[in-house]
Amino acid sequence: MKYFMKKLITLIMTLFLVSVAAFLAFQIIPGDVVTSILGTEATPEREEQLREELGLNKPPVERYLNWVTDVLQGDLGESYRFSRNMNEMMPVAELIGDKLPVTLWLAAVSLALIIVIAIPLGVLWARSSSHFLDAVLGVVTQASMAVPSFFLGILVTYLFGILLKFFAPGSYVSYQEDFAGFLKYLLFPALSIAIPKIAMTARFLRNSMLTEMQADYVRTAYSKGCTRQRVMYGHVLRNAMMPVVTFLGMIIAEIVAGSIVIEQVFGLPGIGRLLISSISTRDFPVVEILILYITFVVIFVYFLVDILYRVIDPRISEK
Amino acid sequence: MIRIEDLSVAFEDTEAVKHVSLELIDGEVLGVVGESGSGKSVTALTLMGLVADSAQITSGRVLFDDVVLREAGKPCDKALYRKYQGARMSMVFQEPMTSLNPTQRVGKQVEEMLRLHTDLRGEEMKRKVLEAFRSVGLREVEKVYSCYPHQLSGGMRQRVMIAMAVILHPRLIVADEPTTALDVTIQNQIIGLLREINQKQNNAMLFITHDLNLARRLCNRIAVMKDGEVVELGETEDIFQNPGEAYTKRLIEAVPSRMKRRRNIAAVRGMGEPAGSGLAGKLPTGRESEAEAGAGQERCAELERCTGQERCAELERCTGQERCAELERCTGQDGRNPILQVRNLSVYYRDGNNSLFSRREKQCVVSGADFELYSGESLGLVGESGCGKTSLSKAILGINKEVEGEITHTTLRPQMIFQDPYSSLNPSKTIGWLLMEPLRARAALDKAYAMTREDMEAAAYDMLHKVGMEDKYFHRKPSQLSGGQRQRVSIGQALITRPGMIVADEPVSALDVTIQAQIMELMQKLQQEMHLSYLFISHDINVVYQMCDRIMVMKEGRIIECGETEAIFHNPREKYTKLLLGNS
Amino acid sequence: MKKSGTGKWNKYLTAGLLMTGLALLLGIVGIFWTPYSTTAMSAAEKFDAPSLLHIFGTDNFGRDIFSRVMEGMGTTVVISTLVVLFSGSAGILLGALTGYFGGVLDEIVMRVTDAVNGFPSILLTLVIISILSSGRQNVILSLGIVFVPSYVRIVRSEFIRLRDADYIRRARLMGVGRMRILFVHILPNIFSVFWVSVMIGFNNAILAESGMSYLGIGVQPPDASLGKMLSDAQGYLRTAPWYALAPGLSIVWVVLGFALFSEGIRRRNERVS
Repeated sequence: MKYFMKKLITLIMTLFLVSVAAFLAFQIIPGDVVTSILGTEATPEREEQLREELGLNKPPVERYLNWVTDVLQGDLGESYRFSRNMNEMMPVAELIGDKLPVTLWLAAVSLALIIVIAIPLGVLWARSSSHFLDAVLGVVTQASMAVPSFFLGILVTYLFGILLKFFAPGSYVSYQEDFAGFLKYLLFPALSIAIPKIAMTARFLRNSMLTEMQADYVRTAYSKGCTRQRVMYGHVLRNAMMPVVTFLGMIIAEIVAGSIVIEQVFGLPGIGRLLISSISTRDFPVVEILILYITFVVIFVYFLVDILYRVIDPRISEK
Repeated sequence: MIRIEDLSVAFEDTEAVKHVSLELIDGEVLGVVGESGSGKSVTALTLMGLVADSAQITSGRVLFDDVVLREAGKPCDKALYRKYQGARMSMVFQEPMTSLNPTQRVGKQVEEMLRLHTDLRGEEMKRKVLEAFRSVGLREVEKVYSCYPHQLSGGMRQRVMIAMAVILHPRLIVADEPTTALDVTIQNQIIGLLREINQKQNNAMLFITHDLNLARRLCNRIAVMKDGEVVELGETEDIFQNPGEAYTKRLIEAVPSRMKRRRNIAAVRGMGEPAGSGLAGKLPTGRESEAEAGAGQERCAELERCTGQERCAELERCTGQERCAELERCTGQDGRNPILQVRNLSVYYRDGNNSLFSRREKQCVVSGADFELYSGESLGLVGESGCGKTSLSKAILGINKEVEGEITHTTLRPQMIFQDPYSSLNPSKTIGWLLMEPLRARAALDKAYAMTREDMEAAAYDMLHKVGMEDKYFHRKPSQLSGGQRQRVSIGQALITRPGMIVADEPVSALDVTIQAQIMELMQKLQQEMHLSYLFISHDINVVYQMCDRIMVMKEGRIIECGETEAIFHNPREKYTKLLLGNS
Repeated sequence: MKKSGTGKWNKYLTAGLLMTGLALLLGIVGIFWTPYSTTAMSAAEKFDAPSLLHIFGTDNFGRDIFSRVMEGMGTTVVISTLVVLFSGSAGILLGALTGYFGGVLDEIVMRVTDAVNGFPSILLTLVIISILSSGRQNVILSLGIVFVPSYVRIVRSEFIRLRDADYIRRARLMGVGRMRILFVHILPNIFSVFWVSVMIGFNNAILAESGMSYLGIGVQPPDASLGKMLSDAQGYLRTAPWYALAPGLSIVWVVLGFALFSEGIRRRNERVS
């Protein structure tokens, strides 16, 4: 429990530091945004007025506090680029709102694919004494890690979309209209994210199991008269899974990153695509919130993995 | 009855075990003794059916009550073996920490034995396990039952392992170095326990060890193995009294013992004495040499050799017996000339890692150490692991700065010889480079010591010869040397700047017995040649006995006893010292 | 490679060397010369399938894809080399100092590297790029900064491991100077591990650079790039699949080469130890 509290404090500290970093990066370093909104032709009065409106003439600490309070209350600021109507800019919250589920579902489907395929594959790989399977999986793993994610996405599109016609590239179905169709369309982007991670996870689990198989306690188990089966599942697997949990935490962080690119490839209207287009147009309020959001998700996942790890490994839950 | 007949085991091309035949009857303890690589563990693993699949049985067979368990040319019948493993034959391993599954409660692990071989289930099973725990001397058995291995001490873990091995009353117990990883006092308890179990359950026991002394205390018969072969087999006492093989003799001699020490010291000092003279036995402690001073001219000549050339002039001025007395004072052998003085020293250790969030706690690991090291003597520091002996040595060398008290030494830079010969030499450098580096470092610190490259090389070659190695090793890298050779280089590296004082931290513990003897001999030879003082740290009281003039015994950070070697061995004052000695 | 060395050459090293060697050669040549002009358009040769004349075919403007791949590879080679040079040397320096001495500097550097290492590198790159805006120098700068922590971590952990090795303790007892211990006694022992991470570093740089160009926030025209080619080609997947395959497979080729190379070094290290 004490550990949990300690971790929680660290978590909050980290979030605070990240928010400060984001604030510095997007609101202090880039300088005055007024010119970028109004252009160079605006009158000094108009510029001054806007600065007043945006609160840019206040000291940085106060600006930071205001900003954090706003964000905590759900006011995420307004986009420089998108407008809701003639005189109002689009609030960032609204902009992100309907894009978020797309990204979350994409990540969830990817993670599910990874766990469902990689863990049995890793165990099978570790158990098999066949050199053929070993060689094939080795090559596939090596190759799949060398393919950049966007190219893999293109290959998946070409193979499953154009050659095999399992899905129609570019014909995205909104989750609000047809959820099943949406998931079906997501399957292929998710697969593009998952393939290299499946290879990595399976290989990691296999290596972890092979290492554990060399451990002294395995010999002890055999000396008791355990079958290979029993040694594998009764003793080795649990120990071998420990590092895999941490590894999966890292994988989740990478899925989040991978979705940024994959959304672009498959034309999914998620937050990744929004992030990239906002960067290209230097729409700082949007970029800032999205980066913060993704960072928070990653930190939180690490936090959960940390806690989970302590629950399953008796060696650490001491003291 | 268990029989191994003409067994040979090969890994790829190398034969690890060659034509070994052993026989075990109920109630008997057979010791298999040999150095690492002698094939003793492979024999045991083959007997247990645990040897790796890559091992091939090239001849012979393994019989258990006339049932053939393993035969040459046939693969291991694992299903058959499983009926025997655990139920009729079981094994106790060396490392109790890693031999237990770290993520399963130890109770469950012992229960697995019952689950596999009996019909007992649930509460019955647990009762039986608790009973077994009690029988191996564990207390608070309920608590132990639900512990994970890391929550138990080394001794307790080994008791759990033994409980697991004996719970089904197997006919055969194979114990592979079961006490090597444990401290001396625990070692004694475990040996006692094994003997007790053997008497109670009347099982046959195969006891594998590298330690002849240990085998002597437990075994009825002993088989000595070397390079995969059994070179000698017989009743324990017969082997000790009349070793038939030269190798066995060497092994027995290599075990550091009192006899050995006398002979060594006599060999080094006794050039002037008639061989086998009764005096040799009295010599070991410095004090007795006083009486011997009267022995006359020869003695002086010897001393002269020890003290080196500077003294020649002085020597010439003196004559006769007074000269000897004076010399003795100069050399410090008896003149009590401390090269190192430690006064009321306490050493602290900062707990935990350096972090912003956690405060580091200061722990006292050595308290109130008070002693001196005299020029030319060997001072032994004995204690079990964690008693603070390494911390003390680090403090003396200035590695550990968290100290209170006073350390004064007259040498410029005392050097150290480490335990592990594999990590004490920089793997990316050649031996020559390594031997010259201390000279370069000294020159960089003090211009007075500047040397030309040729001089350094000459000095390095000279040192290479001194530690008994040939020229050709000069350009080799450490990875191309054996453990013993590396330790020689290590010694050479420490001595090349002639530091006068050497701290040797378990310098022979990582080596095989025969190599151990060679290294100790080398250290004694160099001590005489270069007039060195050793602070000799070891957990092995026998090694210390052989090497040292005086001994300090350390326990829980305190020096509890200090005195002349002979005195400590014959009249230990402290109970703890007696306990340590109990092993030898 | 030393002849009498303890390590052995292995087939991973051969394969890796051949693959990366060929790609690097094409890339370097591509900076100065290409078989066809990469800007000359020809409506007549639009979407030619691969042939002897145009071994990778032609694109939607009738440009020779092979020439464009060479040019793009050139950009990739230059950028990734500079990135690895920058982050690698910064990593050695910071890792050596923090690992050996510890203390406050170590504390600060470790907090930062841990934080950065935990995150997908693309995020931080995006932050830096969005502040600096895209373009060649900014790509190099942002990737250079982003990859420093990974080297720091490896170098630092090696220095920490060796800091307390018996032979280093010994060097201190001899009175060897600090800098000599750092760079003469310790550094040569970490190269075997360091080279592996350099190879992996090349891969990360190449993948990141092409990924950024694909997303349109990497190098900008007129700088050629493989990622940009892929994103252009994606629209013509049905009519001219070779247009996408050529730059894509080129990236795979060079990345696989470096991966094999690093695997080769790793195995060689293993055999030595």
